[in-house]
Amino acid sequence: MLWRGLENEPSLFVFSFKSMSVMSKDDSKMDSVKYGLLKLIDVSGFKVFDPVVRLCFREEPGKQVGEIVRYMVIPIIFVAFCIGAWAVIAPRHKTKAGRVPDPSQVLSALSVNHTLHVRENEKEADFNALDSRREDRIASVEVTLKEKETEEVELKKKLAEVEVACQAEIDQRLAPLNARLEKLRTSHKEAADARKSEIVTLSEKVVAETAAEDELTALMASDVKLKDEAKEKEKRVKELIEDVKSNPPKNLKRTQLAYNGLAIEIAHLKKRLDYLGKSNRGEKVAVAKADLAKKEEKLKAADEPAGLLAAAKSVVRSEEKVDRIASQSYPRGTTIWFQVWRSLFTVFIGFIMAALVAIPFGIMCGLNRVVMACLTPIISIFKPVSPVVWLLIFQIVVGAFFPNPETHPFFVMMSNIPWVSSLKVNPAMVYSACTVAMCAVWPALVNTALGVSSIDQDHLNVAKVLKLGLWQRLVKIVIPSSLPLVFAGLRISLGVGWMVLIAAEALSGSEGLGKYVWDQYQNGGSMSFANIIFACFVVGIIGFFLDRMMIILQRSVSFDDGAAVV
Amino acid sequence: MSRRHDRRYVEIANLTKAYPNPFGKDIEVVKDFNMIMRKGEIVSVIGHSGCGKSTVLTMVAGLNPISSGSLAVEGREVSGPGPDRAVVFQSPCLLPWMSTFENVMLGVKQCYPHGTKKERREICEYYLNLVGLADSMNRYPREMSGGMQQRVGIARAIALKPQVLLLDEPFGRLDSLTRMDLQDVILDILDREKITTMVITHDVDEAIYMSDRICMMTNGPEATVGQILDVPFKRPRQRQDVLDDPHYYDFRFALIAFLEKQEHAKDSHVAAVKERLNAPEKAESEVVSV
Repeated sequence: MLWRGLENEPSLFVFSFKSMSVMSKDDSKMDSVKYGLLKLIDVSGFKVFDPVVRLCFREEPGKQVGEIVRYMVIPIIFVAFCIGAWAVIAPRHKTKAGRVPDPSQVLSALSVNHTLHVRENEKEADFNALDSRREDRIASVEVTLKEKETEEVELKKKLAEVEVACQAEIDQRLAPLNARLEKLRTSHKEAADARKSEIVTLSEKVVAETAAEDELTALMASDVKLKDEAKEKEKRVKELIEDVKSNPPKNLKRTQLAYNGLAIEIAHLKKRLDYLGKSNRGEKVAVAKADLAKKEEKLKAADEPAGLLAAAKSVVRSEEKVDRIASQSYPRGTTIWFQVWRSLFTVFIGFIMAALVAIPFGIMCGLNRVVMACLTPIISIFKPVSPVVWLLIFQIVVGAFFPNPETHPFFVMMSNIPWVSSLKVNPAMVYSACTVAMCAVWPALVNTALGVSSIDQDHLNVAKVLKLGLWQRLVKIVIPSSLPLVFAGLRISLGVGWMVLIAAEALSGSEGLGKYVWDQYQNGGSMSFANIIFACFVVGIIGFFLDRMMIILQRSVSFDDGAAVV
Repeated sequence: MSRRHDRRYVEIANLTKAYPNPFGKDIEVVKDFNMIMRKGEIVSVIGHSGCGKSTVLTMVAGLNPISSGSLAVEGREVSGPGPDRAVVFQSPCLLPWMSTFENVMLGVKQCYPHGTKKERREICEYYLNLVGLADSMNRYPREMSGGMQQRVGIARAIALKPQVLLLDEPFGRLDSLTRMDLQDVILDILDREKITTMVITHDVDEAIYMSDRICMMTNGPEATVGQILDVPFKRPRQRQDVLDDPHYYDFRFALIAFLEKQEHAKDSHVAAVKERLNAPEKAESEVVSV
């Protein structure tokens, strides 16, 4: 019976095979696109999207849908559930810095921070704008300013209306609470008075020796206790009142926020006009030049030696002033994206420093057991040291190299490199980068040593038979065969470096995401808690992409992986 | 000058490999292996698995230090590895991060340090052509079958222009059709280039077809040359002619008889050696497949 059942199967199989082969003939071009995409997904490590691509090309739709549900939809639902739980739980927890922000507040932190960045860009462009571009900008800003101002007037009116309307609502909500508080107070007062007279009579009795002293003290103790209880009750009601006051109706809150936003925007537009007008660099240069022309005229007109000397002096001074103003740049405020760039730059500098040390030393360790034995104690003792300790050590040790950072040739050089100058390299950044390097060096070092020491004996035999020299052996055999492990180590290093960097920046005060978080924590504004959580997401997302980048690099250098072809 | 050494081109005298034994005397895996090879001769070394064939070859190649005895090529004693004794291993041992061409070029660069780029290129192409890989020069090892990879290994070894070619079971991991193909490829090249060659094998037919002499090794420990069989077929050889030759089966019978005798003698031999060494010894297993 069983045998017969099995017999049927081959024909089924042949049938399905045939239908498949017909299909593949039709869209062989589509297939190449499909497999290209699949390979790309594989290389970049986004395996999750594999069934999506297969589904798009109609490969076993049932199976793919199952996979998508299992590995995409369910996780998405789970994440959504987590966010929902966050939204529900967070506002219930009151802290010194207000309630824990919910997802919508964090999202609005993103837009607020981004707007700040955009506005800084606008102001910088205004500061640098010249001639016709400047005039165009003035015109457009004035138009928007006028619009916004009319809008503001309307909104102000609306806000007043809403305030009145809401005041009634608030009063309505407050009235019972106030009444309750009043009632509590009078009842407590009455009770307290009653207790007081009781105590008085008792004390008289004690004097007359008709009652014991113990009784009096007991009565006093209970009086204190009851008073405390009464206070506690009143406090609770007061809290409720405060809560109503500090949580105005949503309508009012929204209007207030809109009004505040508009006011800030108007202030920004006015500031822009200032940068386009009086504070514009071109304008300032022109003023300084006019001044210079006046001075030069005076110099020409001077006829006695003392006056001539003084005039010449003032001409030189105004020439200097013109130069100084012409080379001024806009004093940019730090914004989140600037801080992100600076953090990325710092982590890459630290990472490259780590790689430059780790790879050669790792290779030496892997090739020579004596070197390995020499370095092992150093590695094992310094690997577990906290980044905070390294930062402090670097601040002292490296700091000694630049007693006057402003005039130190290194920083002067850095401020003259086109891309780097805008990042404002300073000693704090150097310390942070050194800390990153110090903490990131170990995984790369250990992995490189492992990769080199585990080279296939066959490949070493090839080198022996060919009598390759040391350099050839390194370049042709040792390095290529250990590259996959080296890159695995570098990937861990970069992850560690990014994690360490945030702490180092916070502690050293080097502009970057770490300092951003620290500043937000210190300034305690109404948005700062949301900003901190927003920064937490920024750090996480960037860390994720850095890791993905390293995965791709690692895949593309590993020789035994077919994915390397893409 | 070289003529003088043609009859004694490779001299292997009392080659011995001993491994230290913590519980007694050193274990001599190979003992007093003697062999003299003429120039251009192909000698097979045959024996049971684990008898020490590969140890002999790696010692000749210089990859395994010699415990005692000596090795001379063209009248000069040699030690340590070098491109004058090229090796083809059982696994192709190609460098996976290099293309076929680059793998061959790696050796060519070492052996023709004064050649121009073009000359080296031509050398590589010539040898890759010889092994039939003219079309696959830019492919990577992972993109090729085991047989093709082994061809690259052969091209790489021969491109070194070695004085001695050492083949360590070069076809051991290939299927029988590929194996026959590659045997012909190698014989063809050897007939052309006249390289003195030592082939390690445990395939009786392969040994008869490929070699001028077959060295049969006794079982280890203390393995040594048991018998030497001359195979007087003319070169170049055709497989069918060799198979049709009436002596073929005599040779085959002689080889198998020797190997079977070794198999039977093994137990007593091992016991005897053990007794002498007064030490435990790893039992040899695996029966030869004929």
